[in-house]
Amino acid sequence: MTKKSSGKRISVTFQPDDITATAEYKANLLETAIAAGVPINASCGGAGTCGTCKILIEKGRVDSIRTAKVSEEEYARGTRQACQSRILSNLTVQIPAESRLETAVLEREMASGVEAQAALATGWGFKPSVAKDFIELVPPTLKDNTSDLSRLMRGLKKRHGREKISVDFPVVKKLAQVLRDGRWMVTVTTLRDSETGLRLINIEPGDTRTKLYCLAFDIGTTAVRGQLLDLNRGKILAQSLDYNRQRSYGEDVISRIAYSQKPGGLKRLQQAVVATINKIIGELIEQAGVETKDIAHMVVAGNTTMTQLLLGLDPKYLRLAPYVPTINTAPPLTASPLGIEVAEHVHLYTIPSVASYVGGDIVAGVLGTGVYQRKKLTLYIDIGTNGEIVIGNSDWMVTASCSAGPAFEGGGIKHGMIAASGAIEDFNISRQNLEPEVHTIGNSKASGICGAGLINIVAALFSAGVINQKGKFHSHLPTKRIRRGRDGYEYVIAWATETEMGKDIVLTEVDIDNLIRAKAAMYAGCQTLIRSVGTSCPDVERVIVAGTFGSNIDIDKAVTIGLLPDLPRERFIFIGNGSLLGARLTAFSHDLVSEGQRAAGMMPNLELSESSDFMHNYVAALFLPHTHAEEFPSVRVKLNKAEQEIGI
Amino acid sequence: MAFDIPKIDYTGRIKEIKLGSGDEALTVGGQSSYPFHLFEGEMPHPPRIAMEVYDSPPEEWPEAALEPFTGVTDDPVAWAKKCVNDYGAEMVCLQLVSTDPNGLDRGADEAAEVVKKVAEAITVPLIVWGTANHDKDTEVLRRVSELCQGRKLIMGPVEEGDYKKIGASAIGYHHTVIASTPIDINLAKQLNILLGNLGVPDEQIIIDPTVSGIGYGIEYAYSVMERIRMAALAQQDEKLQFPIICNIARETWKTKEVKIATEEDPKLGDARKRGILMEAMSAMVLLLAGADVLIMRHPEAIGLVRQMIGELTTS
Repeated sequence: MTKKSSGKRISVTFQPDDITATAEYKANLLETAIAAGVPINASCGGAGTCGTCKILIEKGRVDSIRTAKVSEEEYARGTRQACQSRILSNLTVQIPAESRLETAVLEREMASGVEAQAALATGWGFKPSVAKDFIELVPPTLKDNTSDLSRLMRGLKKRHGREKISVDFPVVKKLAQVLRDGRWMVTVTTLRDSETGLRLINIEPGDTRTKLYCLAFDIGTTAVRGQLLDLNRGKILAQSLDYNRQRSYGEDVISRIAYSQKPGGLKRLQQAVVATINKIIGELIEQAGVETKDIAHMVVAGNTTMTQLLLGLDPKYLRLAPYVPTINTAPPLTASPLGIEVAEHVHLYTIPSVASYVGGDIVAGVLGTGVYQRKKLTLYIDIGTNGEIVIGNSDWMVTASCSAGPAFEGGGIKHGMIAASGAIEDFNISRQNLEPEVHTIGNSKASGICGAGLINIVAALFSAGVINQKGKFHSHLPTKRIRRGRDGYEYVIAWATETEMGKDIVLTEVDIDNLIRAKAAMYAGCQTLIRSVGTSCPDVERVIVAGTFGSNIDIDKAVTIGLLPDLPRERFIFIGNGSLLGARLTAFSHDLVSEGQRAAGMMPNLELSESSDFMHNYVAALFLPHTHAEEFPSVRVKLNKAEQEIGI
Repeated sequence: MAFDIPKIDYTGRIKEIKLGSGDEALTVGGQSSYPFHLFEGEMPHPPRIAMEVYDSPPEEWPEAALEPFTGVTDDPVAWAKKCVNDYGAEMVCLQLVSTDPNGLDRGADEAAEVVKKVAEAITVPLIVWGTANHDKDTEVLRRVSELCQGRKLIMGPVEEGDYKKIGASAIGYHHTVIASTPIDINLAKQLNILLGNLGVPDEQIIIDPTVSGIGYGIEYAYSVMERIRMAALAQQDEKLQFPIICNIARETWKTKEVKIATEEDPKLGDARKRGILMEAMSAMVLLLAGADVLIMRHPEAIGLVRQMIGELTTS
């Protein structure tokens, strides 16, 4: 922005949302879009390197350099990178489908895994931290003119015996009026806190016991998922999700931490995630038909960075050796000062974390699936950008986290996308003519490939002998789907006429390489962790797979590419979003609050980057399914059979 | 009570491969124990040393390395003959430095003609080493392979990026491929698997683990070679049971410690002696790690190493 021109207001209209914003001369177009709440992608945080924020200038002028991300042809048609564009005149901007943060159909993934989840969670009593009591008090008289608060406490004591009860000051402020409005019949809300005992957090006139709700949230780096819970009946009333708006400031935790160090960056990130949460709360309230004031509690699980950013704690030291978080367990705090649109008495409980890279999300998963309660040796794997692994049982647990990269969530993949409508999720290939069979989420026209799709495609191409163990194409095969593209050989998954954007959807050797790296990091992480505790893969009695890369995972195909260990298939359970599961159960059971702290406390963290074995295991895993084929006997049998069939 | 020397139980054996053709063909490999552990197993074939010949006059060799080859460095055929006739070379390695796209960038046909002439001039096994530029090596080595069919060359480096075409050509014309990977046991195994899948017979594969000289990370090469042998012999890892070739001469003779002239730094001692010892000692370290074929340069360094091999293999 130049001094000379400041003050000159320009209007920018974003289509297809029809949102109009005003901006100053030479303002950055991406920042203007984000400020106006326009859903736009920007994986690299506006650095100009990812090309995901491409937009089409329909009217008006911008000052924009053409980078390698925009072809000459596109540039001529008016395509620009929003982050590289400065506004020169009134504008009309079209945001194409591939640059939009689409949410509507993400919901499909929410529903997934619920049944499996129900099968896992046992051993906890239904006893929410927040409870309501209806109390009838004897009105004061001249003979009995003790204070309102003493009178209330006398009534409460009758209910709770000798238990110590403390009172939050805001309750006292409205006490006199509420008691009289309710004609000495009131409902009090108490919060059970492990440290301070029972706390009186709210008082309402009359009997409102039937209206007691709680919010459970999983704050993911990519997406935020929330549920509205009925604490009287232990039920999910509504669920919703949205992309984390922080995504516009960078795709992974490292770029977010980097952004937080810019002036005002931390505040902007905090506000972005709070805005996402508020939007979801609004949807939940509307879906369930309840009132905001009846929400009494909030439980949140997220990785350490997400938790610190939500609380506005500087995450700088998370990524600097020796990688120390500011807190593992947050002290009791209320949600509204953070900007979350709930009543001021609502407390926010964050699931404790273990270390900088092992957060409340993994603790929640362990908690929700009861890994820490059972005798069986269990491997818990949360497949995501930041892969997290726990091994153990009721006696001991060890955790590790490995950076798998964003491939499982569609990042770094030419036509990758999150598991939303139009994402290719299932894939098969004919061994005869090498033609594919493609299934998308929502059965709509294909618009990209999600994590589950990527796993299935690579497994199928490998099984059919289209790619070798290094993930490179056998280019001589008789099909026009294998061709030479900009990034080496590629396979055309869907022709332009079959896709949403009218462009071929391809899988390149670079994409396959990225997936192989991601799966190698996950597998090597598991292997290193398992061996570090003196056991071996076959001893693992149960494998719980969590993740949000699709509505399901084909265990067999995940084993085929060497992502998961080759164990009898009945040992695997897919639970979908483990973090949200743990948050929900914690909302339902106060027992799990202390259990969560216990679980977090009993999980030492193995720093894989410090382990010399990890790198060795990682390189060995950079092969399909693995350099040591004997670790994958079932895959070997299957491949041998396939070879005989097609005679290669 | 008598003292028993603790012994390792080996379960594997290194594959035997035949190098070259005719009367002077050599066999390497076949070991059933760690290098020179003759008290534990057999070492049926001693390690072999190939003498280096450049296909264009070397530009950066120190005086000490050039001196034994005075008058022949501009003629690869004469040079190769001198190695065999004057210095008793049991193998020759022709380094195709002239084909380097960043250097002379000599064409494939011309380079292959030179290889053919050398191959015809000598009868000992011939190694042909490219520049590790995938496109260029593919072009050059395929041409070489075709022109020298029947000669059973040992050719490389064959890497993950060019193994298919060079490998296919080696299968067709029965040459041995040098499977080259950057100092990593897993990558070495992966390439062997890929070559096997392509159809290269086991008797036509030799591993190049990528080596360096003393002072330049030789311990990494040592460790990887040692692990390859442990996997092959004690863990029955079939895809690592191949002989190993080490292209060590160029690594030692290019170091600063070898190139500095005597008068520039008298503390380092005589430059000639220094170079010979650096080469001999580096080669010896690699032999102890499991090398089956060494590519060496100076006749005196070769003499020292031969003597050591002799002493270590006579029981």
